[in-house]
Amino acid sequence: MQLSASSITKTRTICGYCGVGCSIDLMVRNNRIVGVQPAMDGPANEGALCVKGQFAYDYVHHPERLTHPLVRGGDGQLHRASWDEALDRAAAGFLQVAEKHGRYAVYGVASGRTPSEADYLMQKFIRVGFGTHYIDNCSRA
Amino acid sequence: MSNPLSDMEKPDVIFCIGTNMTEAHPVAATRLKKAIARGAKLIVADPRRIRLAEMADLYMPIRVGSDVALLLGMAHVIAREGLYDLDFMAARTEGFEEFLEHVGQFTPAWAAGITGVPASDIERAAILYGSAKPGAIFYTLGITEHICGVENVQSLCNLALMTGNLGKVGGGINPMRGQNNIQGAGDSGAIPNNYVGFQAVTDPVNRAKFESAYGRPLDGEKGITKVTALDRCGESIFGMLIDGENTIVSDPDQQHCIHALKSLEHLVVIDIFLTETGELADVVLPAAAWAEVDGHFTNTERRIQRVRKAVDPPGEAKPDWWIISQIAKRMGMQGFDYDSAVPVFNELCELSPIYAGIDWEMADGGQYQWPIPYKGHPGTPRLHETEFSNGRGKFSFTNYRDPAEVIDDAYPVWLTTGRRLESYHTRTQTGRSSGIDYLLSEETLEVHPDDVTAWELVDGGWAEMSSRRGTVKIRVEATRRSPRGTVFASFAFPEVPINTLTGSGYDPITETAELKVCPVRVMAV
Repeated sequence: MQLSASSITKTRTICGYCGVGCSIDLMVRNNRIVGVQPAMDGPANEGALCVKGQFAYDYVHHPERLTHPLVRGGDGQLHRASWDEALDRAAAGFLQVAEKHGRYAVYGVASGRTPSEADYLMQKFIRVGFGTHYIDNCSRA
Repeated sequence: MSNPLSDMEKPDVIFCIGTNMTEAHPVAATRLKKAIARGAKLIVADPRRIRLAEMADLYMPIRVGSDVALLLGMAHVIAREGLYDLDFMAARTEGFEEFLEHVGQFTPAWAAGITGVPASDIERAAILYGSAKPGAIFYTLGITEHICGVENVQSLCNLALMTGNLGKVGGGINPMRGQNNIQGAGDSGAIPNNYVGFQAVTDPVNRAKFESAYGRPLDGEKGITKVTALDRCGESIFGMLIDGENTIVSDPDQQHCIHALKSLEHLVVIDIFLTETGELADVVLPAAAWAEVDGHFTNTERRIQRVRKAVDPPGEAKPDWWIISQIAKRMGMQGFDYDSAVPVFNELCELSPIYAGIDWEMADGGQYQWPIPYKGHPGTPRLHETEFSNGRGKFSFTNYRDPAEVIDDAYPVWLTTGRRLESYHTRTQTGRSSGIDYLLSEETLEVHPDDVTAWELVDGGWAEMSSRRGTVKIRVEATRRSPRGTVFASFAFPEVPINTLTGSGYDPITETAELKVCPVRVMAV
């Protein structure tokens, strides 16, 4: 296989593991991550990187990644579903729970792994949807 | 962290307690190594003889859960020797006379009896830290994952307050945050007591602000924590939305946790793999992963940094912001018409007093550390330089109490849990990285070689470890990293679910689980 440096693009981002926040350049070829370079000008790491940050990126392209929504069927198993079907089911379920048990019956758990935009919307979902503060993230365990 | 990561190279004395930094925050630890190479002294307090302990000038092998006693003993010596900073205490704190009197009763001999650390070493540690100009404290979950996590942190604050090591270059109290964006999750208001930017939900001014911003009435009382919510599943909690957390492997008391999630009427899980938690869901929604989305992480030094999309998500996977907004819209909620992550971040900044000085465009370079109270403000690398946000620094009159469960005849061994360098949390990701899986493919129980003999175990053989909540089978590793009578394992491997055993107690204020202390029985199989 011919490897050409020109076919590799670099994207500056932040390592996704611990809270240090090392700056890295993702090397991408044909829509696949092929390497990670520590950023010498990264404010947290100044060129340093650990074994996870340097090498533990291939999970992104792992064949077990979820590629479509799943919905539990009448047989008790999870089955492939369309986005429309899965989102409608997700939404209807929360409405039903709130109708049956009240607005304190729904709880949200946000992630310490996702970007802040996801965390912000998780708390907004609970507060706008139910008027409660029944929201937390994984920091207690 | 009160201080920036770059300050880690600048202390004269470094005090690390309950932090296995070379494994859990390896790149930050390189800065401590630089400080040590420059001549800084390192004090380490940890039940395990970790790598940091090997590097230390003074290593104190404390019994698990005895931190408050150690820190009170140190405060006693600093007070007795007059090593406190009287000018700082008079100008910046309140209640210091009472505090100096309070610590009079906690002699190093008393602390030695609880911690197992020789009184002479407690004296040395106190004199080293108390004489440092500056001295810096670093801690991780070894401090907070206890029933007395709050008192542990307060006891550390006491030491920094009495020695004036706050607001100074190379000083401070520095918790090392564990996950890439656990700081950002709290900053963004995903907690039951605060809106975005740590605005208390109980404050009527904040309530009015968010009722206006979100267009609906909001509760004036705090919500409940996830720990309490899991306790109430099937009783008063019947629906749950979980984003990116493998709750049943990462949380304490696994059987309780599985039962809780199974008793829900509606569980929706957003994740990148079908985790053990996703297996229990009614709806599983496939998320775009790291490297597939744009957004921001806030790191342990409060630095807001851009993450960028480099590759397309697989199949039909979508960014979390899109998925959550879609559920909200289909429930009839207003205010979720986002076309990208950009307006989400800008809304977050507008509503947050600590992010008010930035927006998506300004955050591009990653140079801002919060608080950034207004546009044009340079950000705040170092907290508390001229004043504390609450006015004066308050001393806490802490006292020692035993862990929720202590060893006895039935469960005579201390288990403490933690992380390892080569694995991350429940291995949803690192277990699917071939090189990492090669480096560390199996969990082991770290046992002192003399205990291996005494308990009739075999190095490399199997053991059965039980607590009051469950039993796991685990391979034995003889190592002097463990002291006698204390064993260690990580919670990373779902096939060795250590959190089947944990969950003895919770801090009454934070409801953080006492994951660092769990009496167990270890038997050969």
